[in-house]
Amino acid sequence: MLVLTRKAGEKIRIGNDIVLSVLEVDGGTVKMGIDAPRDVDILRMEVFEKIQRENIEAASRPFEEISEALDIVKKKLPKE
Amino acid sequence: MKINTRKYGELTIDEDRILHMPKGLPGFPGLDRFALLEDPKTAPFCWFQSVEEPDISLVVMNPFLFKPDYRIEQLDGLMSEMGWNDVKTEQLVIYVVVNISGSGESRKITANLIGPLVINPNTKEAVQVVMSDSDYSHQHNVLAPS
Repeated sequence: MLVLTRKAGEKIRIGNDIVLSVLEVDGGTVKMGIDAPRDVDILRMEVFEKIQRENIEAASRPFEEISEALDIVKKKLPKE
Repeated sequence: MKINTRKYGELTIDEDRILHMPKGLPGFPGLDRFALLEDPKTAPFCWFQSVEEPDISLVVMNPFLFKPDYRIEQLDGLMSEMGWNDVKTEQLVIYVVVNISGSGESRKITANLIGPLVINPNTKEAVQVVMSDSDYSHQHNVLAPS
Protein backbone atom coordinates (compact mmCIF):
# COMPACT_ATOMS: atom_id res chain seq x y z
CA MET A 1 0.00 0.00 0.00
CA LEU A 2 1.22 3.48 -0.85
CA VAL A 3 1.27 5.69 2.24
CA LEU A 4 1.23 9.48 1.93
CA THR A 5 1.12 12.07 4.68
CA ARG A 6 -1.15 15.06 4.03
CA LYS A 7 -2.28 18.10 5.99
CA ALA A 8 -5.71 19.71 6.08
CA GLY A 9 -6.27 21.58 2.82
CA GLU A 10 -3.98 19.29 0.84
CA LYS A 11 -5.08 16.93 -1.90
CA ILE A 12 -4.21 13.68 -3.60
CA ARG A 13 -4.88 13.00 -7.25
CA ILE A 14 -5.66 9.42 -8.28
CA GLY A 15 -5.54 8.75 -12.01
CA ASN A 16 -6.99 11.40 -14.30
CA ASP A 17 -10.28 12.08 -12.70
CA ILE A 18 -10.26 11.40 -8.97
CA VAL A 19 -9.14 13.97 -6.39
CA LEU A 20 -9.17 13.32 -2.65
CA SER A 21 -9.08 16.38 -0.39
CA VAL A 22 -8.34 16.42 3.30
CA LEU A 23 -10.82 19.05 4.47
CA GLU A 24 -10.41 18.93 8.22
CA VAL A 25 -8.48 17.01 10.82
CA ASP A 26 -9.90 17.01 14.33
CA GLY A 27 -8.56 14.60 16.91
CA GLY A 28 -9.00 11.12 15.49
CA THR A 29 -11.43 12.22 12.79
CA VAL A 30 -10.53 13.20 9.25
CA LYS A 31 -13.09 14.89 7.02
CA MET A 32 -12.46 14.11 3.36
CA GLY A 33 -13.82 15.43 0.11
CA ILE A 34 -13.87 13.25 -2.99
CA ASP A 35 -14.22 14.40 -6.57
CA ALA A 36 -14.82 11.50 -8.90
CA PRO A 37 -16.88 10.65 -11.99
CA ARG A 38 -20.47 9.60 -11.27
CA ASP A 39 -19.90 6.01 -12.30
CA VAL A 40 -17.26 5.50 -9.63
CA ASP A 41 -18.90 3.98 -6.55
CA ILE A 42 -17.70 5.60 -3.33
CA LEU A 43 -18.68 3.74 -0.20
CA ARG A 44 -17.85 3.61 3.45
CA MET A 45 -15.84 0.41 3.61
CA GLU A 46 -17.69 -0.99 6.63
CA VAL A 47 -21.05 -0.74 4.83
CA PHE A 48 -19.66 -2.58 1.83
CA GLU A 49 -18.19 -5.24 4.11
CA LYS A 50 -21.55 -5.80 5.83
CA ILE A 51 -23.21 -6.38 2.48
CA GLN A 52 -20.41 -8.66 1.38
CA ARG A 53 -20.74 -10.71 4.57
CA GLU A 54 -24.52 -11.00 4.29
CA ASN A 55 -24.18 -12.18 0.67
CA ILE A 56 -21.62 -14.83 1.50
CA GLU A 57 -23.68 -16.05 4.47
CA ALA A 58 -26.89 -16.16 2.44
CA ALA A 59 -25.22 -18.32 -0.20
CA SER A 60 -24.08 -20.97 2.22
CA ARG A 61 -27.00 -21.78 4.56
CA PRO A 62 -27.76 -25.51 4.73
CA PHE A 63 -31.04 -26.40 2.97
CA GLU A 64 -32.43 -27.91 6.15
CA GLU A 65 -32.07 -24.57 7.93
CA ILE A 66 -33.61 -22.73 5.01
CA SER A 67 -36.66 -24.97 4.94
CA GLU A 68 -37.18 -24.61 8.70
CA ALA A 69 -36.95 -20.85 8.31
CA LEU A 70 -39.36 -21.06 5.38
CA ASP A 71 -41.98 -22.79 7.53
CA ILE A 72 -41.74 -20.01 10.11
CA VAL A 73 -41.94 -17.27 7.49
CA LYS A 74 -44.91 -18.90 5.72
CA LYS A 75 -46.85 -18.99 8.98
CA LYS A 76 -46.18 -15.38 9.86
CA LEU A 77 -46.29 -13.53 6.57
CA PRO A 78 -49.20 -12.93 4.23
CA LYS A 79 -49.11 -14.86 0.97
CA GLU A 80 -47.59 -13.15 -2.06
CA MET B 1 -29.76 -23.03 -21.91
CA LYS B 2 -28.64 -25.47 -19.21
CA ILE B 3 -27.35 -24.21 -15.88
CA ASN B 4 -26.20 -26.09 -12.82
CA THR B 5 -27.84 -24.97 -9.60
CA ARG B 6 -27.17 -25.56 -5.92
CA LYS B 7 -30.72 -26.53 -5.05
CA TYR B 8 -32.16 -28.05 -8.20
CA GLY B 9 -29.15 -29.60 -9.96
CA GLU B 10 -29.18 -29.09 -13.71
CA LEU B 11 -31.97 -26.84 -14.97
CA THR B 12 -32.90 -25.66 -18.41
CA ILE B 13 -33.86 -22.01 -18.45
CA ASP B 14 -34.54 -19.46 -21.15
CA GLU B 15 -31.54 -17.38 -22.13
CA ASP B 16 -33.56 -14.23 -21.48
CA ARG B 17 -33.87 -15.10 -17.80
CA ILE B 18 -30.15 -14.62 -17.28
CA LEU B 19 -29.41 -11.40 -15.45
CA HIS B 20 -26.20 -9.50 -15.98
CA MET B 21 -24.66 -7.70 -13.00
CA PRO B 22 -22.41 -5.04 -14.54
CA LYS B 23 -21.10 -4.03 -11.11
CA GLY B 24 -20.77 -7.58 -9.85
CA LEU B 25 -22.01 -8.95 -6.54
CA PRO B 26 -20.08 -8.02 -3.36
CA GLY B 27 -18.44 -11.11 -1.92
CA PHE B 28 -18.29 -12.91 -5.24
CA PRO B 29 -15.76 -11.17 -7.47
CA GLY B 30 -15.73 -12.38 -11.05
CA LEU B 31 -19.32 -13.63 -11.04
CA ASP B 32 -21.68 -11.42 -13.01
CA ARG B 33 -24.40 -13.65 -14.44
CA PHE B 34 -27.25 -14.79 -12.25
CA ALA B 35 -30.73 -16.23 -12.57
CA LEU B 36 -33.61 -15.56 -10.21
CA LEU B 37 -35.21 -18.94 -9.52
CA GLU B 38 -38.75 -18.82 -8.19
CA ASP B 39 -40.35 -21.95 -6.81
CA PRO B 40 -43.91 -22.10 -5.45
CA LYS B 41 -42.67 -24.66 -2.92
CA THR B 42 -40.13 -22.27 -1.40
CA ALA B 43 -42.10 -19.00 -1.84
CA PRO B 44 -41.66 -16.35 -0.53
CA PHE B 45 -38.01 -17.40 -0.64
CA CYS B 46 -36.39 -17.29 -4.06
CA TRP B 47 -32.91 -18.21 -5.18
CA PHE B 48 -30.41 -15.83 -6.74
CA GLN B 49 -28.35 -18.45 -8.50
CA SER B 50 -24.96 -17.85 -10.10
CA VAL B 51 -24.88 -19.13 -13.66
CA GLU B 52 -21.11 -19.52 -13.52
CA GLU B 53 -20.75 -21.10 -10.09
CA PRO B 54 -23.38 -23.75 -9.21
CA ASP B 55 -22.63 -23.65 -5.47
CA ILE B 56 -23.44 -19.95 -5.18
CA SER B 57 -27.15 -19.45 -4.62
CA LEU B 58 -28.38 -16.69 -2.32
CA VAL B 59 -31.73 -16.84 -0.56
CA VAL B 60 -33.66 -13.69 -1.46
CA MET B 61 -37.20 -12.44 -0.98
CA ASN B 62 -39.57 -9.61 -1.78
CA PRO B 63 -39.03 -7.02 0.99
CA PHE B 64 -42.50 -5.50 0.65
CA LEU B 65 -44.03 -8.65 2.12
CA PHE B 66 -42.66 -7.79 5.55
CA LYS B 67 -41.81 -4.10 5.08
CA PRO B 68 -44.53 -2.54 2.92
CA ASP B 69 -43.09 0.96 3.29
CA TYR B 70 -39.54 -0.05 2.24
CA ARG B 71 -37.91 2.67 0.16
CA ILE B 72 -34.68 2.87 -1.80
CA GLU B 73 -33.72 6.53 -1.97
CA GLN B 74 -31.11 6.15 -4.70
CA LEU B 75 -33.35 4.62 -7.38
CA ASP B 76 -33.46 7.71 -9.60
CA GLY B 77 -29.69 8.14 -9.39
CA LEU B 78 -29.16 4.47 -10.13
CA MET B 79 -31.41 4.60 -13.17
CA SER B 80 -29.59 7.53 -14.71
CA GLU B 81 -26.19 6.08 -13.85
CA MET B 82 -27.10 2.74 -15.47
CA GLY B 83 -28.74 4.41 -18.46
CA TRP B 84 -32.05 2.74 -17.62
CA ASN B 85 -34.14 5.25 -19.55
CA ASP B 86 -36.65 2.77 -20.89
CA VAL B 87 -38.03 1.70 -17.54
CA LYS B 88 -40.19 3.27 -14.84
CA THR B 89 -39.23 3.04 -11.18
CA GLU B 90 -42.29 0.92 -10.42
CA GLN B 91 -41.28 -1.64 -13.06
CA LEU B 92 -37.99 -2.40 -11.29
CA VAL B 93 -38.03 -5.66 -9.38
CA ILE B 94 -36.64 -5.50 -5.84
CA TYR B 95 -35.33 -8.37 -3.76
CA VAL B 96 -33.38 -8.46 -0.51
CA VAL B 97 -30.86 -11.03 0.71
CA VAL B 98 -32.15 -13.26 3.50
CA ASN B 99 -30.11 -14.81 6.28
CA ILE B 100 -30.83 -17.34 8.96
CA SER B 101 -28.95 -17.57 12.22
CA GLY B 102 -29.27 -19.33 15.57
CA SER B 103 -31.43 -22.37 16.12
CA GLY B 104 -34.58 -23.46 17.93
CA GLU B 105 -36.18 -20.66 19.93
CA SER B 106 -33.40 -18.23 19.13
CA ARG B 107 -33.64 -18.73 15.39
CA LYS B 108 -33.49 -15.43 13.55
CA ILE B 109 -34.49 -14.70 10.01
CA THR B 110 -33.08 -11.42 8.81
CA ALA B 111 -33.00 -9.46 5.60
CA ASN B 112 -30.33 -7.06 4.42
CA LEU B 113 -32.24 -3.84 3.80
CA ILE B 114 -29.12 -1.76 3.05
CA GLY B 115 -28.12 -3.87 0.03
CA PRO B 116 -31.22 -4.51 -2.09
CA LEU B 117 -30.97 -6.25 -5.43
CA VAL B 118 -32.59 -4.08 -8.07
CA ILE B 119 -33.49 -5.82 -11.32
CA ASN B 120 -34.37 -4.08 -14.56
CA PRO B 121 -36.59 -6.61 -16.36
CA ASN B 122 -36.22 -4.78 -19.68
CA THR B 123 -32.43 -4.78 -19.91
CA LYS B 124 -32.00 -7.97 -17.81
CA GLU B 125 -29.53 -6.17 -15.61
CA ALA B 126 -29.28 -6.34 -11.83
CA VAL B 127 -27.43 -4.14 -9.35
CA GLN B 128 -26.96 -4.56 -5.64
CA VAL B 129 -27.47 -1.05 -4.35
CA VAL B 130 -25.38 -0.04 -1.35
CA MET B 131 -27.36 2.27 0.94
CA SER B 132 -24.58 3.99 2.87
CA ASP B 133 -26.53 6.55 4.84
CA SER B 134 -29.69 4.67 5.52
CA ASP B 135 -31.45 3.99 8.82
CA TYR B 136 -32.25 0.46 7.65
CA SER B 137 -30.42 -2.52 9.08
CA HIS B 138 -28.37 -5.13 7.26
CA GLN B 139 -30.00 -7.63 9.63
CA HIS B 140 -33.63 -6.56 9.73
CA ASN B 141 -35.85 -9.05 11.54
CA VAL B 142 -38.24 -10.38 8.89
CA LEU B 143 -40.71 -11.56 11.53
CA ALA B 144 -40.92 -8.27 13.43
CA PRO B 145 -44.17 -6.37 13.01
CA SER B 146 -43.46 -3.60 10.48
